[in-house]
Amino acid sequence: MFEKILIANRGEIAVRIIRACKELGAKTVAVYSDADRSSLHVALADEAYHIGPPKPAESYLVKEKIIEVAKKSGAQAIHPGFGFLSENDSFAELCEKEGIVFIGPTPEAIRLMGDKITARKIAKEAKVPLVPGSDGAVTDVEAAMVAEKIGYPVMIKASAGGGGKGMRLVRDKEEFENSLRMAKSEALSSFGDDSVFVERFIEQPRHIEIQILADSHGKVLHLFERECSIQRRHQKVVEEAPSAYLTEKTRKKMGDTAVRIAKAVNYQGAGTVEFIMDQKQNFFFLEMNTRVQVEHPVTEMITGIDIVKWMIRIAEGEKLPFKQSDLKINGHALECRVYAEDPAMNFMPSPGILHYVKAPTGPGVRDDSSIYSGYEVTSFYDPMLSKLITWGETREDALKKMVAALSEYVVLGVRTNIGFLIRVMDEEEFNQAKIDTGYIERHPELLSEESPEIDPALIAAAVTMEHAVPETNNGNGKSTASNWKLLARRLGVSRNPLI
Amino acid sequence: MTYSFKLDNQIYKVNIEEDDSGVVVEISGEEYPVEYTKLDDNLYSIIINDKSFTIGTFKQGKQIQVFHAGNLYELEAISDRELSKSGAMGSGLEIISPMPSRVVKLLKSEGDTVEEGESVVVVEAMKMESELKALQAGTIKTIKVSEGDAVEAKTLLVVLTEE
Repeated sequence: MFEKILIANRGEIAVRIIRACKELGAKTVAVYSDADRSSLHVALADEAYHIGPPKPAESYLVKEKIIEVAKKSGAQAIHPGFGFLSENDSFAELCEKEGIVFIGPTPEAIRLMGDKITARKIAKEAKVPLVPGSDGAVTDVEAAMVAEKIGYPVMIKASAGGGGKGMRLVRDKEEFENSLRMAKSEALSSFGDDSVFVERFIEQPRHIEIQILADSHGKVLHLFERECSIQRRHQKVVEEAPSAYLTEKTRKKMGDTAVRIAKAVNYQGAGTVEFIMDQKQNFFFLEMNTRVQVEHPVTEMITGIDIVKWMIRIAEGEKLPFKQSDLKINGHALECRVYAEDPAMNFMPSPGILHYVKAPTGPGVRDDSSIYSGYEVTSFYDPMLSKLITWGETREDALKKMVAALSEYVVLGVRTNIGFLIRVMDEEEFNQAKIDTGYIERHPELLSEESPEIDPALIAAAVTMEHAVPETNNGNGKSTASNWKLLARRLGVSRNPLI
Repeated sequence: MTYSFKLDNQIYKVNIEEDDSGVVVEISGEEYPVEYTKLDDNLYSIIINDKSFTIGTFKQGKQIQVFHAGNLYELEAISDRELSKSGAMGSGLEIISPMPSRVVKLLKSEGDTVEEGESVVVVEAMKMESELKALQAGTIKTIKVSEGDAVEAKTLLVVLTEE
């Protein structure tokens, strides 16, 4: 059993992992950049080590610094969370070399699945259905020929891509050349590699993924599906489990298929096989994420299995004590990602200090977050504030609970997407689970409040004025403490001149 | 006490009076019986016309943020001095489009006098019509748009002069 685990991440997922470690009786080691001294993961861990400036490339992504802290603190294992070094095979390899356990799959499995073209090849060999397209990276001339052959609309995708970068939808031949150029330049600047492939674009696709859990003794299980069709800019916003769309037959077929892919790379730990599904329940392999997923909580809620704890136990060599037939779907769970962003301004991030936070509670409500009143959302990292998860006996129950929970949330200081999420939950098509990845684009009316309740807001403002403590006046009409001074005081002694 | 707040480039006058029988708030001529209590530094429980609201507020200088039912409202408290100053940003003598919209109808012509709270322009945005009102009494000096015009958010539509 691990006595001490280093968490090579920040934010909500670092907090989630620290909690799991504590429940397993392991000591926790946090790492933090200059921008994260006041972050919750630092406060909750048993030990905390500063690893550099706010920019991830100078702190959270520096493999050697993480390894150095692991050695200094005596941590036997590293949990990478998601993002950062979680899908970096050379980091996993370095851990191995240094005698530290990387909590995740083998470097080999990360490498194979990390390259989309290799992953496609493996899937093909494992008889997993693939979206028709080019077999691998193509030259510009080949790309145009493939597009012609499979028929428009087509999707151009970066081989090394992820998170929607280096992706272009092309509806007809005339747009192709231009889109190809843009996809390649985006791929080059995001991933340092401009190779792309081309595949058929599935109309009104649903994003459905299968959670895998595999131990180091050859047992590979699936924890059913999650549907993540509500996306903006190819990033998930609302997720649920199970999918309201799948038949039992498709569910079983997808689960078996995902297990087959995982076995093909001798997978171990938690992983996710992502599929795209058309309107006839045909599914095609997208990619495999070789890490814990942001939306893992919805699966935990319907299976009762703590995925993060099992990742750690699997890394310790423990055998999975249950078999596939022991696993059952219980009820329905939804997750809403609460972001500091303005949906009305094309979901533009809204960094700043959270002057006040009050999170919802109640039976079946889970708030995975790392925010608190006074926390600063910086522009260095993802602007996700919280993952709000609700569980109900049925989808409708979970949905109503989500509306109630979102309505209880109070966040002052930055713009959030909470109102937008409430409107999605109330929308007719979403209620009937008639969703696909184009849902948000199809519903621009949800982006801003059509009939805001101005009067209660004005009354609250008047009440606040009545109670306002007169600000200290030094005679020149200005408050004695400038915002800068207040900020500096709040941050204490900061090493980072940027702040 | 009367407060003026600017919200989405509209100015609202809110009068709050407290006596033995309770609190009454008046907004644009409409009266609301209000009962409120502070739950913590930033959270109020407010009962308006028997309807219960939990509303978060944060005040920093003139800026007030109000968070209610998932929506954040960013208001600015305007002093009487600023309100009467013409030409000041978003003063009561300007009518500004709060959002991208289409001018449906002009209810007044240049030279007309208007009362405070009187509707001057009807705009349509997101399939909903709304009336933009004069924030104080005055005479219409210039109308900068025509019926049918599409306007961006925060476009100056009408300028008034004080009587």
